[in-house]
Amino acid sequence: MLEMNLKFPHWFSIVAYMLLILVPLWLALDRLIWVAGYDISSWLDSLGRNYISQGVIEFTILQAFFSTIATLVIGLPIAWQLGRYEWPLQSLIKSILTMPFVMPSIVAAIGFLNIIGREGLDIRSDEGTWFATLIIAHAWFNLSLVIRFCEPVLSTLDPMLEDQIRLLPAGRTSWGRIKNLWAPILLPSVAAAACMTFVFSFTSFALVRWITLGENTLESMMASIGSSAGIDGYMISRNEIILGASLIQFAVLLVSLWLMSWLQQKRQNLLPQASENVAKTANPTGWFVIIPAMVFALLPLVTILISSFRIRETTANGTSYSWGLDGWEYAFTATKSLPSAWDALLNSIGYASLTLIIALPLGWLLAQTIMLIETERPILARILDIATMLPFAVSSVMIGLGVMLGMIRIDAEFFYSFWPTPVIAHVMITTPFVVRIMLPALRSIDPSYEECARTLGVTKWNRFFQIKLPLLRGSILVATIFTLAMSMGEFGASWVVTRNSDWTTLPIMIDSLRSIPYNNSLTAPAASAVSSVLMLIAVTLFTWAEKFRPSRGGGMF
Amino acid sequence: MLSCKGLNKSYEKELFSEFNLELEPGEIVAITGPSGSGKTTLLRCICGLENLDDGQIILDGKEITNLPAEERGIGLIFQKPVLYPHLSVGGNLRLGSKSGDIQKSLKEVGLANFEERKIETLSGGEGQRVALARALLANPTVLLLDEPFSSLDDDLSKKLVQDVKTLLKNRNCPAILVTHNKTIAAKFADSIISL
Repeated sequence: MLEMNLKFPHWFSIVAYMLLILVPLWLALDRLIWVAGYDISSWLDSLGRNYISQGVIEFTILQAFFSTIATLVIGLPIAWQLGRYEWPLQSLIKSILTMPFVMPSIVAAIGFLNIIGREGLDIRSDEGTWFATLIIAHAWFNLSLVIRFCEPVLSTLDPMLEDQIRLLPAGRTSWGRIKNLWAPILLPSVAAAACMTFVFSFTSFALVRWITLGENTLESMMASIGSSAGIDGYMISRNEIILGASLIQFAVLLVSLWLMSWLQQKRQNLLPQASENVAKTANPTGWFVIIPAMVFALLPLVTILISSFRIRETTANGTSYSWGLDGWEYAFTATKSLPSAWDALLNSIGYASLTLIIALPLGWLLAQTIMLIETERPILARILDIATMLPFAVSSVMIGLGVMLGMIRIDAEFFYSFWPTPVIAHVMITTPFVVRIMLPALRSIDPSYEECARTLGVTKWNRFFQIKLPLLRGSILVATIFTLAMSMGEFGASWVVTRNSDWTTLPIMIDSLRSIPYNNSLTAPAASAVSSVLMLIAVTLFTWAEKFRPSRGGGMF
Repeated sequence: MLSCKGLNKSYEKELFSEFNLELEPGEIVAITGPSGSGKTTLLRCICGLENLDDGQIILDGKEITNLPAEERGIGLIFQKPVLYPHLSVGGNLRLGSKSGDIQKSLKEVGLANFEERKIETLSGGEGQRVALARALLANPTVLLLDEPFSSLDDDLSKKLVQDVKTLLKNRNCPAILVTHNKTIAAKFADSIISL
């Protein structure tokens, strides 16, 4: 029996996590298997048999692979310039270049749609361009991963290491220095960034949905056929496709996460070689990299704002454009088919707040539980640690399907009319992030702080409020902001869960507005207006979070 | 005053066995021994941060063996000063006592006007003095010192040894010092025990 430091709240957190996160996934699997049967080979075969899923695996892998290459090709020169040279307004440049990653995926999709769609360059309908656009959009979205992973290594590497290698035969040529110094030092960071980019591109949904012309990745295919799954005797092959696709996606994500965690470890081992105070020089020619990079990072976002004021007018003489607030007015006024953006905003705030109320204490308690048992019971701690990361290996659409099929399994009618239902999916997505933020923060508190306070006679509650809480303040705020921002921008799971309900969130409203037929000239500017609101919320929240983020050792986020 | 009877503790090996100690008011005892001999563990057991395998600790006639550390009234100065970085010097001292005279305590350890100073601005010696002032402000029945001078340079260490000893004697506060340095033990304590 465990000699437990664990108290009721810790056990409660484990049970609550099982109920909230693992049970819906299990129920969904159970429901799908109930319809499709246990034959795994039949699940996998169905992917090649059915016209819906033919070529989807190949396309998913191909686009994720090219997206990863493009992200590295664009991101590495930027990371090099930022890391090796001194720039005026460096933190502003860095904020601009890392901004794309904090944008909700639907906002990114609208940004690119504005550029390539009918209101922009009008090249979307050309099959020869959308694949390249998708790759560029993924590179835009994941650019900051390369910068975040590689720039700290480049900017803080002890200059003596470079000086020394120049004086050795192995480092007399540029190639020699790359081979013997930069490549070994940068490789884990580059590989970690590539790994994460691959994962995000592999599970991309909003960008694939809005940039391609009906092409599917595993993720978007599951989202589109998910609504007809889980019904006894109905479209059995779709259940098989979802099971097969989930299995492949789960395996790919699991391997990627394992690789990622191994690379992170290697990367952390290299960081201590770095020095915080490296004197850097200016590099005027570097502006040829930095300026285009900033334009690239800002362009889709700026087009969103501009498009929200640009109204298309089609007459017998052709199409012209005017400027006005009509798009904003349309977005913020309820119509017969859509609620107003105010309703969507209130729903989004409500869901985000409820998600925070559940995910923050749950994630914190889970992190505390892992930490408490890791000395006494390291294997059990590792199992719990992996269990808390499981939702990372399940994409947001899979989580949405889990909740939806779980609802059908228990009481579909009740859950479809129950306003907080999407919160279950949001909690599943955000709790692992809270655990990842709080665990290193809890581990970083010197145990002697607690011991010293005890010898001073400080009571348990005072120790919590006067010592632990202030020391964890930064990480709690980062976890809070992250949870709110992720919940407000969440698209994939919400799209699946809320499809049959009346509740609209900001991302769902953007999608719905763009789905309205093209002859309504106000829907595109209205979608851009709502995207602008979501964009401003994301920028505000993440700029705020950046102030509290530990510079090093603060976990993955 | 403080009476330790037959204290036993072992992890993978035996750390101390049948350890006995009688400490009178104002008396300072030093415990010496090589690294890994269990000196620090002994102090942690006496102040309640760790449990004994066997034995009895009596303080002012009351058995405290199973009392939690926060209820024993025994102070501990750690090898490296444990100061809370989110609190000022004054804030750290207020953890020892909310109503105590902080100015006076700081003056006593030679740090007058340090109340508003931030922790990261303190030197090693100043930090150790703040930790001492805080421990004394809590008015401990006994003060335990776990090699508090070992991380300081020689001159500072000599000065602090003398200052702390004077302070404890003036307050008639009994203390146990753990150190591997026999010279410091001889200068600081009234008697020495080898572990």
